[in-house]
Amino acid sequence: MLGTLVDVDALWRTAWTAALAGVGLTLVFTLAVVGATRSADSRREARVGPAALYAAMAALGAAGTLAGVAYGVVLITTK
Amino acid sequence: MDSNIILVIVVATALGFDFTNGFHDTANVVATGISTRALPPKLAVTLAALLNFVGAFLSLKVAATVAKDIVDPASITMTIVFAALVGAIAWNLITWYYGLPSSSSHALVGGLVGATLVSNGPGAIFGAGLVGRVIVPAVIAPVLAFIVAGASILIVYRIVGRLRPGPVNRGFRLGQWASSGLLALSHGTNDAQKTMGIITLALVAHGSLNPDNFAVPEWVIFASASAIALGTYSGGWRIIRTMGSRIIKMDPAQGFAAQGAGAAAILAASHAGYPLSTTHTISGAVMGSGAAKRLSAVRWGVAGSMVIAWVLTIPATAVIAAAAYGITSIFGNGATGPLVVSVLGLGGLLFVFRARLSRGSALTAAEA
Repeated sequence: MLGTLVDVDALWRTAWTAALAGVGLTLVFTLAVVGATRSADSRREARVGPAALYAAMAALGAAGTLAGVAYGVVLITTK
Repeated sequence: MDSNIILVIVVATALGFDFTNGFHDTANVVATGISTRALPPKLAVTLAALLNFVGAFLSLKVAATVAKDIVDPASITMTIVFAALVGAIAWNLITWYYGLPSSSSHALVGGLVGATLVSNGPGAIFGAGLVGRVIVPAVIAPVLAFIVAGASILIVYRIVGRLRPGPVNRGFRLGQWASSGLLALSHGTNDAQKTMGIITLALVAHGSLNPDNFAVPEWVIFASASAIALGTYSGGWRIIRTMGSRIIKMDPAQGFAAQGAGAAAILAASHAGYPLSTTHTISGAVMGSGAAKRLSAVRWGVAGSMVIAWVLTIPATAVIAAAAYGITSIFGNGATGPLVVSVLGLGGLLFVFRARLSRGSALTAAEA
């Protein structure tokens, strides 16, 4: 009965897209935060190699977050 | 002549509703950012207003759902649209009075259904549209946001668990600038469109637009975007306090997770054309980010009051709108009915504000 009233496919697609995007965005930004924090700690301990690696991780995380936000805006504008 | 006066009243009432929508729903966008001190209150509200304005121009899919999929556009008269708006505004003010974040979208849908039901009978209600595009998503959205925000914050705590809290909190506060912005944009996209849809319905009923082939006029888009942005800027501080600190006390990571989950759910739903309640979604996400940390962190009493308001929204606004339609109809089909109800409504509005002020001064940005 409910299946005839509800477009289950569209609803399911909406649900998993939202889940993936929500968890994904948080995860990617968390990597940026971890990278930035550990990079600062490593720099303070004069460990140049790990500091650079963590800084790269932070930059990648930040770029991924911005890309996610940009994709969200594109998603709205291309309807 | 009469129909032109009614159209002016309906458009003014619709923009009034849009203002209350922005005023009422500011909390959805800014509460988490303010309560975690990621953004100063005034700046948060200003940014939200600007992004709501921009968001309103970005998509029209939800407007089409409101205008075509819930009630039969051919059966709509301007009096029905007017009564629906009266029901929705009344409900927004009642829930604002009690500081409850409830859905402006569902208030509008309930009003439309109630007024259409008493004027044209159940045949003019699109049951499939109402259930499939409003009620089922209304149940799923907060649950989904709850789960996504809960899962997100568990992952965050797992990853950042051993790090120093100072830099981590600063990082997530910075991230909240982005998540708040995305949320405000998605809110403008989803919510301003409902008013666009309702004004478009009134224009169809007035005969200004062809019911078989119509588009939302540009002046409607601009006026709706401006009204919701102004309402957002005015800020409903009472609801901001409920959303920001009365449900849970949030840390910046929880704020980011809640906003990220909420924005993702709203954007995905807007893309599919569901007139989703941003209030339900963000509230679900806020509760999820709190419950995942510790179940007792959520004030379930406050959450329960909110859920009761959500369940009551569509039936209550339907009843108020049906009553407004009944009173309007007493005066016939002319402009007298809407004018009388408008005057009564404005009187009620003044009474509510006086009663609110007599219970203590209105909240300000500093107190929220």
